[in-house]
Amino acid sequence: MSDEHGQTSKADEPQSPREKKFIALLERLAKARPFAKLRFQAPLLEQSRRLIVEPGGIEILYRLAPRLDEAGLFYGTDWDDPAALIPGLVNATLEQGSKDLVILECLSQLRLLAVANGLATHQGVSPEQARHFLTQLLALNLNRILGPPNETQRVRLGPLGEAVGKLFHFLMGHIGYGDILGHLIEEIWRILSQRPIQVAHIKAMVSQIAVSLQRGRGDFGEARLGADRLTSALFGPTQGCLDDPGLDEYRNRLAAMDFAGLQQESYGMARAMHDVGLVSDYHAVLLRWLLDNNYEQLVPNVLGVSNTGRDALQSYQDLVHRLISEAICPETAQAIYGLTMLLERGVLYAAPIAPGLWRQINLQLSSYARAIMPPSGLEPRKQLLAGVISLLGQPLGVGQGNNPTCQSARAISMWAYNDPDYLLHLIAQASRYDSILMHFEGRALDSAALPPGLAQSLPLDTDPVSMLLVPHLDRIYIEMGRLCAGRGGDPHRWINPELHGWWVGRQFIIAVDVASGNLKEYDDFLQQFYRSYNPLFNDNQPVIHPQPAGIAVTDSGGNFVGWHAVTLIRVALDQESTMRVYFYNPNNDSGQNWGYGVLVSTQGYGERFGEASLPFDQFASRLYIFHDDPVEIDTLSAIPAETIQSVKEMAMTSWAQKRIPDTA
Amino acid sequence: MTEKNPDKGYVAILGWSLNAIDSIDRFDRRYVIVAPPWAEEYAKEHDIPYISWNFERIDDRSFEIAQILKDKGVDVAIPLFEETVEWAGAINSVLLGKPRLMGQAMLFRDKSLMKRRAQLGGIQVGIFAEAQDKGDVIHFLKRVNQTLLKLDGDPNDPIHLKAFDKAGCLGHWVIREPDDVERISNDEFPLLMESHLDGWEFAVEAWIKNRKIHFLNISEYVTLGYSVFVPASPELEKYRPQVTAEIEKLIEAFDIDFGFIHPEYFVTSDGKMHFGEVAFRPPGFNAFELIERAYGFNAYQATVLMFDPKTTAEELANFFPREVVDAIGHAGCFGVYPRRRVVSELIIPEETANDDYFEFHELQSPAENKVPKRSAFGTHWGLVYFFGDDPHRMRDLLKAQEDLDYYV
Repeated sequence: MSDEHGQTSKADEPQSPREKKFIALLERLAKARPFAKLRFQAPLLEQSRRLIVEPGGIEILYRLAPRLDEAGLFYGTDWDDPAALIPGLVNATLEQGSKDLVILECLSQLRLLAVANGLATHQGVSPEQARHFLTQLLALNLNRILGPPNETQRVRLGPLGEAVGKLFHFLMGHIGYGDILGHLIEEIWRILSQRPIQVAHIKAMVSQIAVSLQRGRGDFGEARLGADRLTSALFGPTQGCLDDPGLDEYRNRLAAMDFAGLQQESYGMARAMHDVGLVSDYHAVLLRWLLDNNYEQLVPNVLGVSNTGRDALQSYQDLVHRLISEAICPETAQAIYGLTMLLERGVLYAAPIAPGLWRQINLQLSSYARAIMPPSGLEPRKQLLAGVISLLGQPLGVGQGNNPTCQSARAISMWAYNDPDYLLHLIAQASRYDSILMHFEGRALDSAALPPGLAQSLPLDTDPVSMLLVPHLDRIYIEMGRLCAGRGGDPHRWINPELHGWWVGRQFIIAVDVASGNLKEYDDFLQQFYRSYNPLFNDNQPVIHPQPAGIAVTDSGGNFVGWHAVTLIRVALDQESTMRVYFYNPNNDSGQNWGYGVLVSTQGYGERFGEASLPFDQFASRLYIFHDDPVEIDTLSAIPAETIQSVKEMAMTSWAQKRIPDTA
Repeated sequence: MTEKNPDKGYVAILGWSLNAIDSIDRFDRRYVIVAPPWAEEYAKEHDIPYISWNFERIDDRSFEIAQILKDKGVDVAIPLFEETVEWAGAINSVLLGKPRLMGQAMLFRDKSLMKRRAQLGGIQVGIFAEAQDKGDVIHFLKRVNQTLLKLDGDPNDPIHLKAFDKAGCLGHWVIREPDDVERISNDEFPLLMESHLDGWEFAVEAWIKNRKIHFLNISEYVTLGYSVFVPASPELEKYRPQVTAEIEKLIEAFDIDFGFIHPEYFVTSDGKMHFGEVAFRPPGFNAFELIERAYGFNAYQATVLMFDPKTTAEELANFFPREVVDAIGHAGCFGVYPRRRVVSELIIPEETANDDYFEFHELQSPAENKVPKRSAFGTHWGLVYFFGDDPHRMRDLLKAQEDLDYYV
């Protein structure tokens, strides 16, 4: 350890009284026997918290971090073995951990930085490993470095929240942009491949990359091409705006173009949008300009629609043009992608959709609904309309944001996918009357009359429709749960069909005994799941309607994290002839590591945009609830016993480890 | 574990204190902790030498533990808490073959006997008496105030009531009016009653070996039961010669060959020392830690050194720093009591947290919102530690804490 180094710098640096105190405390921690360390850990953490927010505090803590480590600050905590730390978990600690955990995390990063820079050593962590950890950490938290200060963090942690932001800049300054940008760009592409509706934070990151590119900062290496594609998609997708001239100048240039030039622009915009999944502000300017200047015939080109979309556009031309003129502007440019996909999906051909959208266009929002739309300078009605377009075009692009409301997000997604006119009805009710009405076993539930549910405040970081609907749905969901109290068993048996719709299977199959939490008739559960959903065992019957399912989510170590709601969408063979389950996960990023090799894929295995997928066996091993309708199956092909056995083992080594009943 | 020296003594520590164990584990003496069964699992888990023992009542089994320790080769037992003082006396009378140690311990454990013995030894003590019931208290209050020539309607001088055998401020009441007696329940009796002296109260920590004082610290109370700091301010330290003489009287009166004592005194405006009480164990308010912070030596290790019969003269000569002059600063602490009836959160006052002298605190967040009513002085909710160069600034800072809300 760098005692020698620590001593030198101690002598070199002038010490403030607070630093001297800090060192006195540190020395007492160092002296204490392991069993007595706890007593000095807490005071040191508190003093660190005070020190880190002071000017120069981070530098002092960086200098002392190796001594803190050696003195035993991390003794008895998960941070004691830095080799086992996972960069992906840091964010959760910073967002949800207590102040003590947040500062502990910060100090752990500083000591790893010291290891990476050769100022200290730590058994089991090489400088390369430490650098690799920090690089990944920074890549995963670039929004902290590039984006605006995290408001929720600031509110929750006060000055410490700001210090965390400064710490990330400090780490970045030491690790350098070079390593990070590659990771970042990879990360952006991975997220974009899921085609999320909410892209504000991605746009912010791309903007920062553009700044770095322009200033020639950072070594992009192989990521250069990816970086260029991202920045050009946002800031210069076509010949006419390659130099990012500004929106007004672009309009001037459009006015000077001939038809061929405009056609070029249209193709270019569409190509960039479909390639990346981001929509440039210039795209919105072009679309509006074409409509305003009687170039309607170029609209299919600027959207980049196939024959299906082109046909839908022509069939509902007035409606679509009206949607564009009402809802599309540079602030809502991303909704162009939603509009395109809405046309491609062909939902307009369902009779109630077009009139439903006309209602939406003219809808008068209640004052409450107006107030909850995010402040943007846009008319709330237009904001909501753009949100509706995005949602109908990208049912799987909606995420729960930073809210504990996966059930509600899943329901919104499911309706957008399967029952869009019902969704339009709910939106109209909620935005006009601040209430939605649903029924549970014949009993009417009025959301306006119910107490708040899981979400104690307004939803955060989510799309306009979710902002509007989630509080209502959340209340109804909780009320349904309340009405099931005392029934025994999992309430989702009754809630799921009533909340989502008639198509939810009337059979409810669950893998655990709710009272004990232990596995129950697990073999039968798995057998039935294969018979219900695997085409190899169910007479090759594809999934017809999206079905709610419950997942036992595990972390990258395979440890149980919590129950989570997903939607089963499809089951099909991928290009490698592996049977896969394609599903929707209301988490904002579906690409997750569930441990023991169960890596949820979001691209590359036949996923459609927004779908997550896993091989059937792996999915089965994390499943604990599903629905089905009793169906006759003619050919009962046997499910191999070893398949069931291996799935069972995957479950029992991960989430079900402590749920094995005594007499299994 | 620090390398243990087999030529040195083997000590038994009576009572469970992580701070004490941590300190003694780092010392070169072999040791064993004698503590109640609830500590067993923890001791095992952390390889702490341990013997399970219940200290509830001294009876014929006390000889049993003495025998167990003797068989292990233990040389001496050291008490950590008030409740283990008589156990140490009983055990040491066996281990060292000195039956009078048992009697000596009983003097330390009974405040009434203690005062009489001190008085016999020529030490100045206030007026005191034993109370069997509330009637005795009212009678004593009246007699004391009559003596002071108070007339009806004059505010009374208060009297103090203390449990015979409790440490520090536990079971300590201040009575001004006959009505105040109602706060005390009948099962608290008998109690010791003392007259009140408007003096400057302070405590002494003295390490004694071979009937000689090897280190004497004066702890200055800013407010009794709230705050203390070491070393004391020059104004109090100027009494050091008198204080030393008082301790020497105590050594004679209580026949103390070795050990550690923690007496309390008042010094009145005429410069006279008045004895309050004396304890034969480490003081409360983590004074040992304050002494370590100020002087750098470990007070638990010092105590072991005093008790160990195998300690050499050379060790004694080298262990302690010089009193007062060798202190690197003043260390103080403040015991926090919630000031409000209902609290929900622990918030360190900004002015405290930002003070250069502030070191750290050991306060817990409140588990319940309602603050239990204090009948006696009671127990504080945790300590806040300070350190700095200027004793007067320390005193003012500790005093100022009394007007701050830590729990809101």
